[in-house]
Amino acid sequence: MDQHPGQGGSAETAGIRPQTATPGATTSGALGAPLYLAWQLTNECNFACLHCIEESGPGRAFKDEMTDQQVFATLRQAIDLDVPYISLSGGEPMVHPRFFDLVAYASERGAQLKIETNGQYLTKDACQRLKQLEVKSVQVSMDGASRETFNKMRVRGDFDAVVQGIRNLVEAGVPLEINYSPTKFNTHEIGRAIDLAYELGAQNFYTGRTMYTGNAVKTWHMLVPSNDQYMHCFNTLHLKRIEYAGRMRVHFHEMGLLQEMRERLENPAALLVVLPNGLVKLINALPFVCGDLRTDSLAQVWANFQNAWQDPRVAEFVAALEQDPAKTAELHHWIYV
Amino acid sequence: MKLAKYVKFRQEKFGGVLFETRSEKVYALNPTAAAVVREIQAGTPEDAIPARLKADFDADEAAQIDREAAAFADQLREQGLVVEE
Ligand code: SF4
Repeated sequence: MDQHPGQGGSAETAGIRPQTATPGATTSGALGAPLYLAWQLTNECNFACLHCIEESGPGRAFKDEMTDQQVFATLRQAIDLDVPYISLSGGEPMVHPRFFDLVAYASERGAQLKIETNGQYLTKDACQRLKQLEVKSVQVSMDGASRETFNKMRVRGDFDAVVQGIRNLVEAGVPLEINYSPTKFNTHEIGRAIDLAYELGAQNFYTGRTMYTGNAVKTWHMLVPSNDQYMHCFNTLHLKRIEYAGRMRVHFHEMGLLQEMRERLENPAALLVVLPNGLVKLINALPFVCGDLRTDSLAQVWANFQNAWQDPRVAEFVAALEQDPAKTAELHHWIYV
Repeated sequence: MKLAKYVKFRQEKFGGVLFETRSEKVYALNPTAAAVVREIQAGTPEDAIPARLKADFDADEAAQIDREAAAFADQLREQGLVVEE
């Protein structure tokens, strides 16, 4: 599961002058449906990354993941509600046996899809299909500019194969985005990784602070960058953002989770996080679940979502996070609101 | 004029929202702006849009429609949200 999706300001009803924001940041209040589904298709993954914020890996599919029928029913509802933007992630979405059928179903009905993948399955054929199906973009995780760094972090992953996959994507004409998770042993390569992303043809580069949750909890002592390393990382990011202005967008969350949570409490984003078993989270960085797409309709879940943010336990959890940031280790112990 | 390929429109109670999905930008629209987009989707020529809209708004609002619709169409063009057919 990638850590750093799109970011941006907040939208207001704009009069004749449109105000811009990103779907993940647009406030949900007056909207009749979500703008964005961040859908984790399966918890299964062919990699076993040290920093994974999910509990994904080989053989780690949830026992109760949605059936094909439930998956397609959810997708149909999203299309009927005119949800314009859907990202498919995981685990590794491309290991889902119906991955291409789902992409085709959504694309043929006009949904804009972003695929978030570890890049291992981006063969020339797969990339051609993604191009034919007109996916909006593919975000590939590339946490480093060298084989040595990448392979250390992405256990079972292979840097050369992923870079070849990226080249296949670009050759096929699919818009490319790169995701990068900083750790103790890759922050020195952040500048080179951004340069490499640009050379490979990326349009966007995403990063931020690595989260203490999922599999990363067990490996945290090996992973967490020092303050000096983070400072070097963000200084480089600021410079690279300027260097690549107009050519590639360099996005990063410098402040970390808490500030974002405080903002979300005031203005929940119009974003639903769908787990592989159909449970829907308020946001990935909170443990709260506001519905189950195996039994509830998407419209019902959206109505629940609006109310669930008002549940006092949500604000209490955010306040407790301020006292103890390590509470993020509990994000996979779902709480129903 | 038509909506650009990566632009999607959704009707909302307050008007509507436009999405430019490549840059991941969302534009919230008031009722007049939303009505302009609906006309664009319906294939109404740009110069015929104000007349079409006036029929749906009261007299006070109608006075502003020409100016607002033209300004909004310019903004859509500037932002790359529409293309000429
Ligand atoms: S590729 Fe790595 S980070 Fe992504 S889901 Fe798999 S194990 Fe987790």
